[in-house]
Amino acid sequence: MSYEVMVGNKACATGVKLARVKVASAFPITPQTTITEYLSDMYAAGEFDFDFVNVEGELTSQVVVQAATAVGARSFTCTSGPGLLYMHHPMQETASKRLPLVMAVVHRGVKGMQPDHSDLMSQQWQGWIHLYVENAQEILDTCVMAYKIAEDKRIRLPVAFGYDGYVLSYTAEPVEIPAQEEVDKFLPPYKPMPSILPDEADPATFGRGFGDADPQKPWQVHHEAALMAEPVIKEVFAEWAKKFGRSYGNGMIDPYRIDDAEAVLTAMGTIAGSAMSAVDKLRADGKKVGLVKIRSFLPFPRNDFREIAKRIGAFGIIDRSCQPGMGGPTWHQMRSTLYGQPGPQILGFYAGLGGKEVRVDDIVKIGEKTLKAAKGQKVEPLVEWV
Amino acid sequence: MSQRITRAQIPLEELTLVPGSACQGCGAALASRLTFKALGPNIIRHGIPCCPDAVTKHPRAGAVFEGGGASLTGTARGLKAIGRTDVKAVGFFGDGGVYDIGFQGLSAAAERNENILVICKDNEAYMNTGNQRSSGTPKYAETSTNPIGPKSRGKETQKKNVPMIFAAHYVPYIATASVAFPEDLIAKVKYARDIEGFRMVIIQSPCPVGWNFDSAKTIEVARTGVQSGIWPLYEIEHGTSFKLNYKPKELKPVVEYLKPQRRFRHMTEAEVNEIQTYVTERWQKLIKADEVHQVVI
Amino acid sequence: MIEIRLHGRGGQGAVTASRILATAAYEEGKYSQAIPMYGTERRGAPLTAYVRIDEKRVRERELVHTPDYSLCMDPLLSMQQAVADSVKPGGVVLLNSPMKPEDSLLAGDIKIATVDATSIALETLGRPITNTAILGAFVKVTGVLKVESINKAILKYYPGRVGEMNIAAVKKSYELVKGPVQAKVKEAPKIKVDLNVGGYGVLKDVSSWRVFTPKVDEAKCTGCKTCWIFCPENAFEWGEDKKPHMVSRVCKGCGVCANECPVKAIEMVRVEI
Repeated sequence: MSYEVMVGNKACATGVKLARVKVASAFPITPQTTITEYLSDMYAAGEFDFDFVNVEGELTSQVVVQAATAVGARSFTCTSGPGLLYMHHPMQETASKRLPLVMAVVHRGVKGMQPDHSDLMSQQWQGWIHLYVENAQEILDTCVMAYKIAEDKRIRLPVAFGYDGYVLSYTAEPVEIPAQEEVDKFLPPYKPMPSILPDEADPATFGRGFGDADPQKPWQVHHEAALMAEPVIKEVFAEWAKKFGRSYGNGMIDPYRIDDAEAVLTAMGTIAGSAMSAVDKLRADGKKVGLVKIRSFLPFPRNDFREIAKRIGAFGIIDRSCQPGMGGPTWHQMRSTLYGQPGPQILGFYAGLGGKEVRVDDIVKIGEKTLKAAKGQKVEPLVEWV
Repeated sequence: MSQRITRAQIPLEELTLVPGSACQGCGAALASRLTFKALGPNIIRHGIPCCPDAVTKHPRAGAVFEGGGASLTGTARGLKAIGRTDVKAVGFFGDGGVYDIGFQGLSAAAERNENILVICKDNEAYMNTGNQRSSGTPKYAETSTNPIGPKSRGKETQKKNVPMIFAAHYVPYIATASVAFPEDLIAKVKYARDIEGFRMVIIQSPCPVGWNFDSAKTIEVARTGVQSGIWPLYEIEHGTSFKLNYKPKELKPVVEYLKPQRRFRHMTEAEVNEIQTYVTERWQKLIKADEVHQVVI
Repeated sequence: MIEIRLHGRGGQGAVTASRILATAAYEEGKYSQAIPMYGTERRGAPLTAYVRIDEKRVRERELVHTPDYSLCMDPLLSMQQAVADSVKPGGVVLLNSPMKPEDSLLAGDIKIATVDATSIALETLGRPITNTAILGAFVKVTGVLKVESINKAILKYYPGRVGEMNIAAVKKSYELVKGPVQAKVKEAPKIKVDLNVGGYGVLKDVSSWRVFTPKVDEAKCTGCKTCWIFCPENAFEWGEDKKPHMVSRVCKGCGVCANECPVKAIEMVRVEI
């Protein structure tokens, strides 16, 4: 097993190689661009057996890899911010057609160039599985695991994993690179289901006839498949931990020092890393604050949070995006998840939108406020802009 | 260039599943039937939103309206990646998906010389949604978004010259075809099928509903289109070699093509003459190009 | 509330007819709604429209599943049981047909009325467009609306001389409609046929699309295969006898074969009613 000090984008490209992707296609956009360059380098050097398709726009890249996946080639694409919005139209089809595509979203807020989660959050309706990643090692590991999750027969849905631009995509960290043979044992070859090759396809599907089938049914099937991702994610991450010795909580969440916590913060992406340092600071001060790094946003870790909620006094939810007129997506999900059971206060914090720097000390303050609420003291406002 | 065939050599095997849900007399349905006779089996047929011409005995891959070029690219690259280049990626798209909303993606696929075959059934408007104009609508044609009135004489501009535009990507093969000339159409599709790289055949497919003529006249309208020079039949290879396939001694006057179609019924004599001049001048250029077997684009 | 179902063919004006009825209702101070079954429109293909008329604003938008009245504008479709399906017991089915209502084979607890709207339209309008011609008969046998309201509504859609001609068609069908009489066969067949054959895909049987059908004179036929090659639906089976044989469930009656045959061996003949 080897390692390299590499930037997040290179960890992503390395994950693509280890997953034995056969077709990759992307259009450059900051801060994803260097992934396209790494993959092009790997292609030109013959570093592994795949095809890299340079396309004229993101929408095309989504359709290219969608079609390649449908015909039987494991495929990959990546984008950021506005590029993701440009793919919005065909992106829905990838999920509706149950194609196990994996896409990396290098977060770039839609209002600018710096990172926030508005790009991936704006695509909640597309029917994909959404994972959020915090460090370069996690990028490489998640990229490989994402294929195993997506291709699981119980799911067959595309997976998007997001990681913050600049602070993660362009920051270098030591990354352990698992051996190809070991990854091959973990991730078997991809077989499309169903096949659309003429000698394998079911002729009954050629007619494209219309029946009077319940038009609501496809939505129900899709919704249930997306919910089914939770046990599969947990299984896949458990298997990875066993095989490669690196665990990320249970795959849905990665808790940090929550066992005896009175207040628990939640965060996604790089803010979660800073939050761990903030928790250590608070703990050193005798303050019982913990952190849950949310890894799977969709499906949301409802079961995990319902359990944690039984033991704590307050949640401090950090959202790196805001839906204008509605509010923070994680905050809303948490309130809906915990409705009906008596429990903790839920405070909301907007942090890091537009790429605004989030410092450990900012999160320490978030932790102190949340702890106050946990102890029953009145805090205002319930939702604040950090 | 394609090899000529006779009527007797038209393959007997049918690959369309009938009856389809096309209108009575649909030109595109016939274009589909003839094309797939020429293509044979072992194809993944790609479709995007379009009039329902015909269903065939091939597995179908669908994509969003603007994604025709992209989905063909993905399938072709995917087939290569899994070692199945015996299977061919073929798209059967309308003028909307080729001339307009799908234009960017196809142009890019042509520029990359993707190994794909695009068949365009050109019925000269967005027929599936009710006859709205496209860039493939001819000048003065009435459509639902170019109706005739005091402020409008129908479509304002000439039909976009898509065959020449794609030829200017220097791709291996571009051809025009007509449902009224089935031997020519089948020869061209067969030829395109058997070579590599980006190939496109554009088939003019008269629409009795949208062009507003009696459904029995579909072939007659298509034939007159070719015989009047409105829809010339030619082939271009690599953006240089040129061959004009149908060269009558004398072109029929365009009015014989325009008159039976009620989408042109409002045209004045001056407007008809304008079209005649346009077609005659263009024809002379094509004749010259054919004489030297070259186009300059 | 009164619920009406209209049957026609793409291009015959069934949707306009539904809107004329809705307009006529509003002219009488009633509320109304006209719903087309869109998405299945193909030239020649059967289509359905619905109308609701009520004393208060019509709020629901589901399709009409059990109409009080059914009206069929096309003489061939008038032979299909589907136009009488699901009509409320005792409801009236009005058919555009030269038949007498007693001779109709439609079954169910329904009353049948007939009028030869096609002939009336040809006479008064010079074209076989029956959507207004049938409305006079409709208000006569159902009493749902006044004929004056129908005429007012027609002038909104067809002003001037064209409107007057349509009103003349309405008057004639009002006078000439026969029936209604109770249907002879009381039990409607269990198997229901869906007339809305449209959408995308392979259909089962399009023979109902034909108003004209190709008839091959085998003596004249030279076996040149022109009809076979130009049929958009591949409706000709090419026999061992080197003659074309039309497959009924596939042929839509477009007439291309007859138009193209170089020896005029194919004739498009009117489908017998």
